[in-house]
Amino acid sequence: MRGLIEKDLRLTLVRKQTLLIFLVMALFMSVSMDGSFIIGYLTMLSTIIAIGTISYDEYDNGFPFLMTLPFARKTYVIEKYIFSFLIAAAAWCVGTILFFIVNVIRHNTMNPAEELPVLIAILPALYLAAAFMIPLQLKYGAEKSRIILFILFGLIAVAITGSKTVMTGSKNPLAGLAKLLDSLSPWAVLSAIVAICFLISLICCLWSIKIVENKEY
Amino acid sequence: MVKVDNLIKNYGDFRLNVSLEIPDGTVTGIVGKNGAGKSTTIKAILGLIRPDGGSVTINGKEASKLTGDEKASLGAALSDSGFSTYLCIEDVIAILRKMYPTFDESFFRRNCESQRLSFHKKIKDFSTGMRAKLRVLVAISHKADLLIMDEPTAGLDVEARNEILDLLRQYLLEHEQCSILITSHISTDLEGLCDDIYLIHDGKIILHEDTDTILSNYAILKVDENTYRQIDKNYLLSTKRDSFGYTCFTSEKQYYAENYPGIVIENGNIDDLILMMTGGK
Repeated sequence: MRGLIEKDLRLTLVRKQTLLIFLVMALFMSVSMDGSFIIGYLTMLSTIIAIGTISYDEYDNGFPFLMTLPFARKTYVIEKYIFSFLIAAAAWCVGTILFFIVNVIRHNTMNPAEELPVLIAILPALYLAAAFMIPLQLKYGAEKSRIILFILFGLIAVAITGSKTVMTGSKNPLAGLAKLLDSLSPWAVLSAIVAICFLISLICCLWSIKIVENKEY
Repeated sequence: MVKVDNLIKNYGDFRLNVSLEIPDGTVTGIVGKNGAGKSTTIKAILGLIRPDGGSVTINGKEASKLTGDEKASLGAALSDSGFSTYLCIEDVIAILRKMYPTFDESFFRRNCESQRLSFHKKIKDFSTGMRAKLRVLVAISHKADLLIMDEPTAGLDVEARNEILDLLRQYLLEHEQCSILITSHISTDLEGLCDDIYLIHDGKIILHEDTDTILSNYAILKVDENTYRQIDKNYLLSTKRDSFGYTCFTSEKQYYAENYPGIVIENGNIDDLILMMTGGK
């Protein structure tokens, strides 16, 4: 596992110029834009970069040799989930620090106890993208999985637009749920989000393990 | 010890069906034409593909079920696969250090230097020979008990090939109990290294013999039509008709030398073995 993390860190650092450009862009965004967009932007970007290490593993027929190294196939998958979480968490921390610094400089009045649950929720919610992308990439490869992901995002966008129509209709079936969520404390809602995301990630991880264990290299 | 017992793998029309054994401390070669099934056999031994039938065991354990610790005693060099070419040797060293508890960093660095491999250049900028040397060095840098080498010298010039073979010979001297399974198109590579040879053709093992026996007992007989009609054909493994008459391949050189003093007898080698056993009539 330690060897795999070392490999992925070094493969990530192969793109250090790109990472630097993203970081500079993030700095400008944090100054020029309001809200917590910067946290989501950095977390999402870092997740994509972390998942990109699968493409590096796949490139130039690298998988056969990789699978002869001393780790079980499921370790490879678990490491990808851990590595992408660590990278996403690191980016979230950087984003959150930038967000707070900018707010302090702007003299914005903030209640961290109220803000923090919302900000923390960004991390598990965006990590779900990684949880979905890993099995797709392992099964279909970098190119095909990208197409599938675009289709998925398209379907999600359609679903959101459709749900807006339903929500604004006279008979909103989710009104009860919205009322229930409003009545809960932000920390309770956060706990629920973390639990749901953890469960979905776990299912995706088990699916990925199955893909890798059945795959021939 | 590696045991391949009735391994079956189907790819469309191609069917691999082989059995072989690699006892501890031996160097075994697999020879055969392109597409004969050499790499498929290697992949099955490394647990990279699932057999459709039969079994592949390494020290009694199913190859595809080896744990990380068990795989640490294995060193593999594949002809078309290695570390990401975006990495440099310094990256590879840092990874191997964490992958293998037995990684011998000073040995690896020393050999990279002696093979003139740059530590900071990306692997993608290496020549074919440099990449091949790196793959072999990675495989032999962690005191592996079993080395599996798929065409480690393919596409290399004589000098690079000899350097790789010298690395393997040196490793064998220092690790007497180590076993090696090696495939190659270049017969001279195997003649100087292997204890025994398997000849694979159309997915089947058609011959298994000690290298010394091949070199001492096998021979090519060149005979005209008249002599061909007269000679004892019981010990002929393969016969090919050519412009001169017949070219016959035998595993009983001495018998023909003693009983037919007039015929032309050329010492056999692995190239002859491949040509005659897989192309003759």
